[in-house]
Amino acid sequence: MAVDPKLLELLVCPLTKTPLRFEQAKGELVSDAAGLAFPIRDGVPVMIVSEARSLEEAERRK
Amino acid sequence: MQYFRYLPFFSLDSGLRRNDNKDREAVKNFYTALDRMPCNVTNQGMATESATNTIGVNPEGEWFGYKRTTPQKKTELVLDVFHSVARKYDLMNDLMSGGAHRLWKDRLIRMIRPRDTMKFLDVAGGTGDIAFRLHKATGGRAPITVCDINPSMLKVGEARAIDRGILHNLDWVEGNAEKLPFPDATFDVYTIAFGLRNVARIDNALKEACRVLKPGGRFFCLEFSHVDNPLLAKAYDAYSERVIPKIGKAVASDADSYQYLVESIRKFPRRANLGKRLVAAGFKGAKVSTLSFGIVAIHMAWK
Repeated sequence: MAVDPKLLELLVCPLTKTPLRFEQAKGELVSDAAGLAFPIRDGVPVMIVSEARSLEEAERRK
Repeated sequence: MQYFRYLPFFSLDSGLRRNDNKDREAVKNFYTALDRMPCNVTNQGMATESATNTIGVNPEGEWFGYKRTTPQKKTELVLDVFHSVARKYDLMNDLMSGGAHRLWKDRLIRMIRPRDTMKFLDVAGGTGDIAFRLHKATGGRAPITVCDINPSMLKVGEARAIDRGILHNLDWVEGNAEKLPFPDATFDVYTIAFGLRNVARIDNALKEACRVLKPGGRFFCLEFSHVDNPLLAKAYDAYSERVIPKIGKAVASDADSYQYLVESIRKFPRRANLGKRLVAAGFKGAKVSTLSFGIVAIHMAWK
């Protein structure tokens, strides 16, 4: 399901409050600062730290 | 509608003026005390040792209803409760409050006086009761974001939004009130209705609320409170102890969750205490209005 682009712009990382990067292929919102990828389930961004995936070394962008 | 006023349960703002004043007095006294305090309490808020004597930090995190727990565990237990009750949540609210929760929520909206130029955040508002009211009050022109930690509650809300044909200016986000995924100074109005009680670390949530509000933005918390009149309190206690878990069992086949509801209401801070903690979290002008003899209260503050 599509997510409203305006909503994606509004969101920040709940831990670091820094902007997120939308990974369209995986349907994830990536916080480079926290090294976490937040899933989007049924069109709803899941911005909960315990639900986020830790980024692999190769995925990190600095 | 006006006949409701003659039924004690529905009389929204009668009776308790005196207690209201008492609370206002308490909050005012707190300001005075703050002004007189030498330094760091207002600046560093809850974190300082000197503040902890009068204002405990997140004491609610230690309790799940009457049971001892940890903040992490409480968050999980509350998640389970609302997973369990999500589908019957709105029906149960009607049954338990005799429909009064609708009037309490309407009252909240009237106090907010929503304008379509405002940006709204409704926290713990999964099933959409507050968001739909705000949407209606602003003619659907104001952007409203609903943030709830519980996906089951959000699902119910989204389905209801579709039933109502609300597709624009309403966003759903799964998030924790203690760690909001929004930038600083984003919203004009923050609402949390029957939600703060279930947050493990209330003081953290208040600080986050203050952070995401624009300067001059307003905070509104509609929550169960405490009945001060001893006779009424007795009747209310008896009702909530004996009747509510039974309704929960009969309708939602879940007496435990509604037992938690009753216990969590009792554990929720008194009005004056919450007022102090709003100030400690960085808010100004904390005020409270009691409805239905103090069964519920609306806390307001601005950044």
